[in-house]
Amino acid sequence: MSVVSLGTPALAAGRASRALRHLQFRLLRNTLVGLFRAARLRVVVIIACSAIFWAGLYFFFSQGFEFLGTVLPLSNEVVEYVFSLFFLSLTVMLVFSTGIILYGGLFQSREAAFLLTLPANPDSVFAHKYAEAIAFSSWGFFLLGSPMMMAYGVTARAHWTFYALFLPYLASFVAIPGGLGAIGAVLVANLMPRRQKTVLALFLMLIVAAACFVFWRVWRTPGEAMTREWLDALLTRLEFSQNKLLPSRWLSKGLLDSGRGQTWSGLFYLMVTTAHAGLAYLVAAVVARDLYRRGYSRVQGGRSSRKRAGWYALDGAFHFVFGPVIPKPVRLLILKDLRTFRRDPVQWSQFLIFFGLLAFYFGSIPRLGYQVQSAAFKNLLSFLNLGVTALILSTFTSRFIFPMLSLEGRNFWVLGLLPLRREAILWGKFAFASGIALVATETLVVMSDLMLELSAPMIVLHVGMVAMLCFGLSGISVGLGARMPNLKEEDPSKIAAGFGGTLNLLVSLLFIVLMVAALGLPCHWYFSSRKLQEVGASLISDPEFQWRIGLGLLCCFLLGAIAIIVPLRIGARAFREMEL
Amino acid sequence: MIRLQGVTKFYGAKKAVDGLDLIVKPGELFAFLGPNGAGKTTTLKMVCGLLRPTSGRVLVSDFPADSPAARQLLAYVPDQPYLYEKLTGREFLRFVSEMYGLERPVAERRMRELIETFEMGDYIDDLCENYSHGMKQRVVFASALVHAPKALVVDEPLVGLDPRSGRIVKDLFVAQARSGVAVLMSTHLLSIAEELADTIGIIDQGRMLAQGTLADLRRQVPQHGHLEDLFLALTGGNRPRTPLPTAVEAPEG
Repeated sequence: MSVVSLGTPALAAGRASRALRHLQFRLLRNTLVGLFRAARLRVVVIIACSAIFWAGLYFFFSQGFEFLGTVLPLSNEVVEYVFSLFFLSLTVMLVFSTGIILYGGLFQSREAAFLLTLPANPDSVFAHKYAEAIAFSSWGFFLLGSPMMMAYGVTARAHWTFYALFLPYLASFVAIPGGLGAIGAVLVANLMPRRQKTVLALFLMLIVAAACFVFWRVWRTPGEAMTREWLDALLTRLEFSQNKLLPSRWLSKGLLDSGRGQTWSGLFYLMVTTAHAGLAYLVAAVVARDLYRRGYSRVQGGRSSRKRAGWYALDGAFHFVFGPVIPKPVRLLILKDLRTFRRDPVQWSQFLIFFGLLAFYFGSIPRLGYQVQSAAFKNLLSFLNLGVTALILSTFTSRFIFPMLSLEGRNFWVLGLLPLRREAILWGKFAFASGIALVATETLVVMSDLMLELSAPMIVLHVGMVAMLCFGLSGISVGLGARMPNLKEEDPSKIAAGFGGTLNLLVSLLFIVLMVAALGLPCHWYFSSRKLQEVGASLISDPEFQWRIGLGLLCCFLLGAIAIIVPLRIGARAFREMEL
Repeated sequence: MIRLQGVTKFYGAKKAVDGLDLIVKPGELFAFLGPNGAGKTTTLKMVCGLLRPTSGRVLVSDFPADSPAARQLLAYVPDQPYLYEKLTGREFLRFVSEMYGLERPVAERRMRELIETFEMGDYIDDLCENYSHGMKQRVVFASALVHAPKALVVDEPLVGLDPRSGRIVKDLFVAQARSGVAVLMSTHLLSIAEELADTIGIIDQGRMLAQGTLADLRRQVPQHGHLEDLFLALTGGNRPRTPLPTAVEAPEG
């Protein structure tokens, strides 16, 4: 005899929601207790690293706002444009990140399959996964947004209501793009269950096209740069960010008003944002209530339609080119990863977008007139460009290279039992990561240097430094990925967001800062004492340049060697001793 | 209790289940046999409402399979069961009982009975991440029974279980069926079907090839004495070709 009664739908929904809330609480409590009992050092490291990162961002934003404050008053409308554009771009990112995480959680996870067999309403399951997706997608937003807000508040001497309101503002704001991303995820599952990656790639390309269009319009702003007319024309071209229907506009307007002491206006926009956050969630929950189960069935039902792989000519070309230099077993491992990369639009589209945007910016350098600036300025800018390229690369290695070994997951024993030394597997991953990184970053840095009209010795210097950065970042990600694999997690974004992934990102950032400083500072000191026309082909024969750069190069080489050898050795040892 | 009427399911252009009719009555233990890719798991997923049929009807006690009422009456144990790694076995059982709306005292009593039945007392308060496969399977079976379902749907129940756990699970199926629960089980182990099932259904390429008691099936194909021979005859002819050991040249270098 059954021990339960059906009850009314409302009662059933209420108890399911309550049970799911208890579940989240228990999971969080057990995870925290486990962490504090078994890995106190890890907790301390996480907290310390987050604090350092937060402080670094605060310093960076403070400097930025102080610089802005020397050019114009911080209550100026230009700041409103800066805020609106910043939050608008974050809106787009949050729509996509929440949508992607939620799609995986609702339609592809084993947990969702389990929950859907229980007597829970689809909207209860949706609410449970939505909260998880919001937490995963928006922690970066808070980490980035809170120091920025604090820096603005302190620099602009904001009214106290600004400090009281900015966290509620950020919290209610994330629910709007989150709700939109959720609606998108459920609709894609229902309408295009077998084309989700293509849809994602198309949308990303659309966003890039829109961003390129904005850049192009900004680039074509008439008038001499930094004059009043030029600024007016520029703001007119960015007028779209001030559209009154955009949540990013409510956020920036409300925050700036509260900073100026206009408390009622600040509260009004907070209420507008919160109301729309509630509406976005409500619409998403209704869509999920009616379409989640149907979408789940369609996604699962569409999975076994067989896809034919193509592009085998590329594989042949790879063997032809690298046959003489890479042993066949390692080549086959690299080829496996290359196939995964090219068949996963999420990987190559993100890669293409970030590096495409950088290429667009570097291509715009002549328009900005940087190439006719002083040697010191050009040198500074070239290293800044190089640093940004390396930072973008580090996000790629952290997001896609670090989780590679973890993602082998249940198939790990296949790699472990292959008739080759386990180190060869790591070298295969290292070669794959370095190869892709080298092609993308070298092209970009050479492009940047050519646009800045740098001398040949400097271009060669940058090419060598970028190569060391690529090898170093790949070594760090592959080595730490092998040392700290998470074989239980199937979602690469969660692996990258975990302790190992965060540590990998921090080590990568430290490595980039040290590398850029090691060569960038000697170059900067050298060039800051010279005029533009004195720097040319004769650079290489200048003894002062030789010793300064020689020292910098030596430091770079040592740092690069450490970044390659140490993590890979640690990773190889752990991988060798790993029990399958 | 479980009824499928003319159920067809397409995966894209591929027909996974083809006009399937099936009834599992209360108290009946129905074993679903078929080669890999025959459509067994797809059928079970339609019964528990995870997949919707392209055409036809799936009913659990006259409720549509994807309705909350049907799920309240049904329990499903998939071939790869899911447990929350950061919950203890007891917390997991409590969560499932809360989802089914059991009163706390009733839930606690049921949990005590099941912990004893499945001999889980030694580890039920450890986190699930520390469990072996067999331990996890026991917790999952216990969670499936915590609300005393009217229909039990199990996909490949004995994979990875040691003999003692296997015996517990087999006895459980029989006991559930005898207490009036409709048990629908898919398996590739013919001996299990022979030992436990009241009714056996042999499915291949989405179609039900034969259905009945073991004696019925033997009568349908009289020249085959064993269920294995009957199964092979129905699903693709004679014994499969045995791969022979082949000498492989060692790579150079």
